Amino acid sequence: MTDTAANSAALAAKPQTLWSTAWRQFRRNRLAMICLGIVAIYVGVFLYAESVYWFARLRDVVPSYKVADFAARNAHPSTAHWFGTDFAGRDNLAQLIQGVRIAFEIAFLTSAILIPLGFLLGALAGYFGRWVDTFIIWLYSVVDSVPSILSIISISYVVGRGMKGIVIGMGLVAWVGLCRLIRGEYLKHKQRAYVAAARALGAGHLTVMLRHIAPNVLHIIIIVFTLAFPRFILTEVILSYLGVGITGEPSWGVMINDAKQRLWLGVWWELGGATAAMFFLVLALNIVGDALRDALDPKLKTAEGSKA
Amino acid sequence: MALLEVKNLKVYFPIMGGVIRHKVGEVKAVDDVSFTIEPGETVGLVGESGSGKTTIGRAILRLLEPTDGQIVFDGHDITRMGDGELRPLRKQMQMVFQDPFGSLNPRMTIASIVGEALTIHFPQMDRAARRDRIAELLRRVGLKAEHMNRYPHEFSGGQRQRIGIARALAVEPKFIVCDEPVSALDVSVQAAIINLLQDLQEQYKLTYLFIAHDLAVVEHISDHVLVMTQGKIVEAASADEIYQRPQHAYTQKLIAAVPKAF
Repeated sequence: MTDTAANSAALAAKPQTLWSTAWRQFRRNRLAMICLGIVAIYVGVFLYAESVYWFARLRDVVPSYKVADFAARNAHPSTAHWFGTDFAGRDNLAQLIQGVRIAFEIAFLTSAILIPLGFLLGALAGYFGRWVDTFIIWLYSVVDSVPSILSIISISYVVGRGMKGIVIGMGLVAWVGLCRLIRGEYLKHKQRAYVAAARALGAGHLTVMLRHIAPNVLHIIIIVFTLAFPRFILTEVILSYLGVGITGEPSWGVMINDAKQRLWLGVWWELGGATAAMFFLVLALNIVGDALRDALDPKLKTAEGSKA
Repeated sequence: MALLEVKNLKVYFPIMGGVIRHKVGEVKAVDDVSFTIEPGETVGLVGESGSGKTTIGRAILRLLEPTDGQIVFDGHDITRMGDGELRPLRKQMQMVFQDPFGSLNPRMTIASIVGEALTIHFPQMDRAARRDRIAELLRRVGLKAEHMNRYPHEFSGGQRQRIGIARALAVEPKFIVCDEPVSALDVSVQAAIINLLQDLQEQYKLTYLFIAHDLAVVEHISDHVLVMTQGKIVEAASADEIYQRPQHAYTQKLIAAVPKAF
């Protein structure tokens, strides 16, 4: 038993999960850490915006970001209004902050539909194969064959425009990418001997699918979530720009749509502010997502897979 | 009475093809194989890669669906048993896998890998008792109890194979299919694992089906040897006999392939 004695000395002092190893690799990526900081700042702003929104709503008053001040219409950026004001004299910075709230709400709510749907269908297809797989492949091919903007618009016409329409529309369309990736992972993992070992011990199919294989594909969900997040934001902007998106709340898309009418008057700060807020968040999330992918699953680096 | 009786076992895999994915042919991985294993003995199963030995092992544990034939374990015909019916019998037959890397779930601790068998088959056991039992099993296979909170990637191939053995032992089985348990290990570690398997056999009165492609390893550990090629058993005899008087041309080829000291 020489191998046991010799190698136990080489074990590290503390047990190492694969997560801690991945985190150590992620930390080495300086740029990704900076971007993680940027994302953290956005999360802070999101929580602040949420509190402003709920504070006004629960007291049944008009929130400060909606209060019009016609004396200060289209004001230049100044110390009083860092990002200037819009056509109704509303502070642009306050609206941008609310835009963060809308963007995060859409991303979280859409993910709440997309992740369970994509994961479950992908897991079922990959694990059980046969007709289950055939049916699910057929289902996502049908969903995928329609240009996503068109299906999102038509779904939002059915369930009602605004936040609900966007979230349900994107959720019901964007699960395809995750489903494909999860299906592929399940196809791979069900061949592994640890699955046979669990079956030999008498573990049922559901236990194997959820308790044994699921932890091994969890990182895919995290990666897809971070990389899909910016796409949700961009889709919301496009939909709001097209006029089928958010109404009554200052989302970035609504702001850009409004701003385009006054750009020729020299009002650049409205468009500039919304674009910059969106740009930094999307960039930071993409870099964090890529770094996460490298840290969590080095083999995925070259896969085109993350389409959401 | 024989512990395991395999009668005319056939395992065919369909070959799918064409536009609508229909069956266009089949691979006869195991083709009409019969043998018996008596309690307490070790039966070696040798053959080259692709000869169907692993398929036999997996079919016996019902990890694969047999196409035809009969598998009788300890008096029970398990050939067509459902999951639920099979579960109590799973306690009595286990498997040790070839690949020490793929056979342990990388996201589970050693305690949950070895302890899973206990949660399935001994649900009345409480946490403390389960921990004690896991510690005992780890010590029994030559590991330390404090290894139980670690993850598989922290161990060497030989140590992982010991963990796999501990997992198989957890349910107190009568019969273990050892599917090339040493072929992925360094030669120095191979001997240690084989000795461990022999010690355990003596202590717990285990019965082994020992699958290998290396006739030297099989001859050392087995009472009987089955030689397999292209899905069929071509020769079955005692270990000594097969080594001294190989009958079939394929067996003679296998023996000639064993490296000898000059």
